[in-house]
Amino acid sequence: MAYDYQTVHALEGTIGAVSERRANHLSVHRASAIASVLAAPGRAAEAAGILVASGEFEARFVAPGEWLVLSDVHAPETLGAELSVRLGDFAFVVDQSHGRVALTLAGPDAARILANGIGADLHIDAFPVGRAANVLCNHLSVNLARTGGDRFGIVVTRSFAGALVDDLKVMARSHELSVDFDTR
Amino acid sequence: MTAYRLASGGLIDRSHTLGFSFDGASLSGHPGDTLASALLASDRLLVGRSFKYHRPRGIVTAGPSEPNALVTVGTGARRDPNTRATVAELYDGLAAVSQNRWPSLAFDLGAVNDRLARFLSAGFYYKTFMWPSAFWEKVYEPLIRRAAGLGRTALSPDPDAYEKSWAHCDLLVVGSGPTGLAAALVAARSGLRVILAEQDFLLGGALLSETMRLDGEAPVVFARRAVEELHGHPNVTLLPRTTVFGWYDDNIFGAVERVQKHSAAVDPARPVERVWRIAAKRAILATGAEERPLVFGGNDRPGVMTADAVATYANRYGVAAGKSVAIFTNGSSGYRTARDLAAQGVGIAALIDSRREAADAAPEGVRLIRGGSVVDTKGRQRIRALVADRGGFEELIACDALAMSGGWSPVIHLACQRGGRPVWSEALQAFLAPDVSGLVTAGAAAGLYRLAECLEDGARKAAAVVEALGRTAAGFERPVVGEETDPSFTALWHVPGAKSKAFVDFQNDVHTRDLGLAVREGFGHVEHAKRYTTSGMATDQGKLGNINAVGILAAMRGVSPAEVGTTTFRPFYTPVSFGALAGTSVGEHAMPVRRSPLHGWAARNGAAFIDAGLWYRSAWFPKAGEKTWRESVDREVRTVREHAGLCDVSTLGKIEVFGPDAAEFLNRLYCNPLLKLPVGKARYGLMLREDGMVYDDGTVSRLGEEHFLLTTTTGMAAGTLAHMEFAAQVLWPELGVRFLSVSDQWAQMSLAGPKARAILQALVEDDLSDAAFPFLAAREVRLKGNLKARLFRISFSGELAYELAVPAGFGEAVADAIMRAGAPHGICAYGLEALNVLRIEKGHVTHAEFDGRVTPDDAGLGRMMATGKPDFIGKRLSTRFGLTAADRAQLVGLKAVEADKDMRAGAHLLKDGAKPSTLNDQGWVSSACFSPTLGGHIALAFLKSGRERYGEKIVVWDKLRGVETAAEVCDPVFVDPENRKLMA
Repeated sequence: MAYDYQTVHALEGTIGAVSERRANHLSVHRASAIASVLAAPGRAAEAAGILVASGEFEARFVAPGEWLVLSDVHAPETLGAELSVRLGDFAFVVDQSHGRVALTLAGPDAARILANGIGADLHIDAFPVGRAANVLCNHLSVNLARTGGDRFGIVVTRSFAGALVDDLKVMARSHELSVDFDTR
Repeated sequence: MTAYRLASGGLIDRSHTLGFSFDGASLSGHPGDTLASALLASDRLLVGRSFKYHRPRGIVTAGPSEPNALVTVGTGARRDPNTRATVAELYDGLAAVSQNRWPSLAFDLGAVNDRLARFLSAGFYYKTFMWPSAFWEKVYEPLIRRAAGLGRTALSPDPDAYEKSWAHCDLLVVGSGPTGLAAALVAARSGLRVILAEQDFLLGGALLSETMRLDGEAPVVFARRAVEELHGHPNVTLLPRTTVFGWYDDNIFGAVERVQKHSAAVDPARPVERVWRIAAKRAILATGAEERPLVFGGNDRPGVMTADAVATYANRYGVAAGKSVAIFTNGSSGYRTARDLAAQGVGIAALIDSRREAADAAPEGVRLIRGGSVVDTKGRQRIRALVADRGGFEELIACDALAMSGGWSPVIHLACQRGGRPVWSEALQAFLAPDVSGLVTAGAAAGLYRLAECLEDGARKAAAVVEALGRTAAGFERPVVGEETDPSFTALWHVPGAKSKAFVDFQNDVHTRDLGLAVREGFGHVEHAKRYTTSGMATDQGKLGNINAVGILAAMRGVSPAEVGTTTFRPFYTPVSFGALAGTSVGEHAMPVRRSPLHGWAARNGAAFIDAGLWYRSAWFPKAGEKTWRESVDREVRTVREHAGLCDVSTLGKIEVFGPDAAEFLNRLYCNPLLKLPVGKARYGLMLREDGMVYDDGTVSRLGEEHFLLTTTTGMAAGTLAHMEFAAQVLWPELGVRFLSVSDQWAQMSLAGPKARAILQALVEDDLSDAAFPFLAAREVRLKGNLKARLFRISFSGELAYELAVPAGFGEAVADAIMRAGAPHGICAYGLEALNVLRIEKGHVTHAEFDGRVTPDDAGLGRMMATGKPDFIGKRLSTRFGLTAADRAQLVGLKAVEADKDMRAGAHLLKDGAKPSTLNDQGWVSSACFSPTLGGHIALAFLKSGRERYGEKIVVWDKLRGVETAAEVCDPVFVDPENRKLMA
């Protein structure tokens, strides 16, 4: 018997190729390299320094001494090991590439759409590019990051990904929104 | 005809006509009209029947405080009862009907109540419908509800969409009158993020009906220019049609926006209403003031309105309330209305001023009666005349409308919704807002009634907010206002000599005698009087009447209104629909669905799914020919016991724990010892609450010296994580430990049955022999095809079993591979129900047993308690006398004596022959099932001193079903008590 296991995306079959991209677009990342980094007790500053210093990682704040690290450079299979090597004793690393789904919401109404479920102040002055926070989006807990003026990164637990996309569609009821997997 | 549309004037678009209907009659109005102004223009004075006496009622106000003109707007599923006609924006095709009348508005049989009034005094329900008490729910209440009431709600599902949105700002301005506009302008020019909310569909507030000129122009010109400027500021959000209904913690305001309530055609792509949650650094209440009605005999007859409403209908809507309008006032406002009417050419029957002396002058040619009062009105369904009294001389004065002005009350509701009590001002004869933080009242809401004062106060208070937020306030040039009259009035709480009922609360039909009765019967406290008389308890929450009720109670008790005080202000300021409050949380959006990574695999194998919390879990896997769930479950159980089965257990909580003190942390968290758990091994663990009862159970695996993985039950996953956070952050912050949930990262499946090893070995590179991978081994393995996985040799079924965890995305592929590898061995997929039967047969406990009343010893797990440990959560209180008593209910097994008699969880246990009673209660059934392995019904139960009673015959008493089943008490482990299968 041949064992060549293929992964199934949490949203496989629930979203599909859209005929046209609309003014606002929710892009679901097909394969995301995501890891949780927990600073070792008393080592948050050192861990943060290492994460920031490298251009290979995008560290999104979760809680004091805790980040979700995303990477376009590293594969899901290797990100955890790469981070462990870099962070050494300063942090504990847990692969979440399968446990989280990353999405990008971009468009002129992105902040307004999110305001239909998220209580955080998303004004660019209050939530600037690079800021991230764990927030409630209606009933769901998500990690929200501003990655551009009109662009937000959302990371949600895998089991709730479908519910979140359904919610985002309703939140965007009065706005033009298309949803699809990214092409990367 | 009396009320009529004036030939010119007002902010209505006379070039367009809107058709609408009222009680089936076709009527018309113009854009800019409210339903009330259009009804008035059509001379529809009678618009409703009162709540209790079914008296004919007309429009009283021109705003949101309207107590009388409640109508049902819309039809079918879109029927909105109790809509205030005074704020309902007119649209083409609007269909409105009156309420609380039968058979018709003009001829209402319920009006007999008015004749029976002396038997229907305040509190009569409590006195009359006391006996027999059983009648209240079945007879009296339904009868009363049918006779007295409001509109009927639509019972079909709401076809419309609603939305809830968050907004943030530096300054929220509530109200867009002169005060609000001035405040918003200053804040906007100073660079603040401003939200201006206005309940009306037009911004401008009192400026829309004001005739005093600003800079020589009509006030509406100033309003339009201000709104235009505000529109131009990118930092300003204007929210017309938005009522701020509540003020909550952290300066968050609730507001409801009527997005599509003013259109017959609803665009499904947009919500009909939107609830805003506005987080404001500061707020200015520019909500204006409410004119008080006067409490005189017959003050509820259609045609009697507040003077401000009469002026507003004339100035803003171009509608005259009558051809011969009488005015009854206790201050200058009545004179202002007289001037406005005279300017529009409306006839004035008389101006009656309760004050003997006043500086105000009546318009030329208008008859002025100083020191007079109104003691009665005449007419059936509309006013025809009033009875004026001066010094005992009564005079009948013909009129077709009566404008009343009882002075002004600042609208301070929002400021008092968080506990602050209103403060009585002797000078203003009104209650003012208390000093509160984060919010300030301005303009008329602060008791400043002159136009110039409002503009200045709004600008000044906004400037103070700007400075407080660390910015420099921009300037504001107040437009020049003409000479304004003294806005003072002399309080007149109740007009003596009433010849008929003088109403205080129009909507709930409370009149002065009701308040007198309340005081007489010992309910003089304002909160008692409110409940005794129902004054202020209607949907308008007494916006008009409460202040008069307070004044009257004060007078009756011989004290100041300050001593009486007000009732408590609470959200909502005006009624909000349930649809708006629910927002998008309807249907599947009310409870998000949580999907297992093996969902697709289960679906492909034909699973029947069941809600388990938010999870959607596979319950059983029916095969062709199986007619009942029991057939499927029995087959799955037999297959697992004889061959092998695969079950999705991904929903279990999984938490990874790291750190130099991880072992110590877990050792304190669980009641059993964990310090010496070897790397590569798993152990069953029990967490207790502080009170010694079991909190949750699961497994703890040591993956490295300082690295653990624990599992929790599905239902307690989030709770356990929070429990751990509390322990780490609050109880033992000195321990070096970090942890996080990895529940979603792993697809986890249980492969159980005598063939489990053979099947799994086909997929796994590592040696799975009993010697190499013994019971409770837990470590990383490599699957063929080079996929890393975690394997645990643990069992819930009592069979040789493994739990295999793979990265979630690979879950379906690996599960498919196991099914293929297991096919020659007779493998089946099994679900939650079979899992439950398997564990009951093996005597394993779940939260059906751990229901919060159960100690480890009760569950037969007392030996796990490591009482030698220095401490663990639950240790101290576990030694309490009651928790160690010998007669506690202990976990036992039950076997039904007769094969065809079943048992159910929740049934109680009785000694054989004992009568069912609390006294005779011996325990309860926690889990029950049919055991295909034993061929009979079995159960797990808690029985007093149960472990000493094996072999005893007892009765399982199920009152819910009316069934009694004889059962034999036995050891809870029904299958393989020697663990031979487990250890194979």
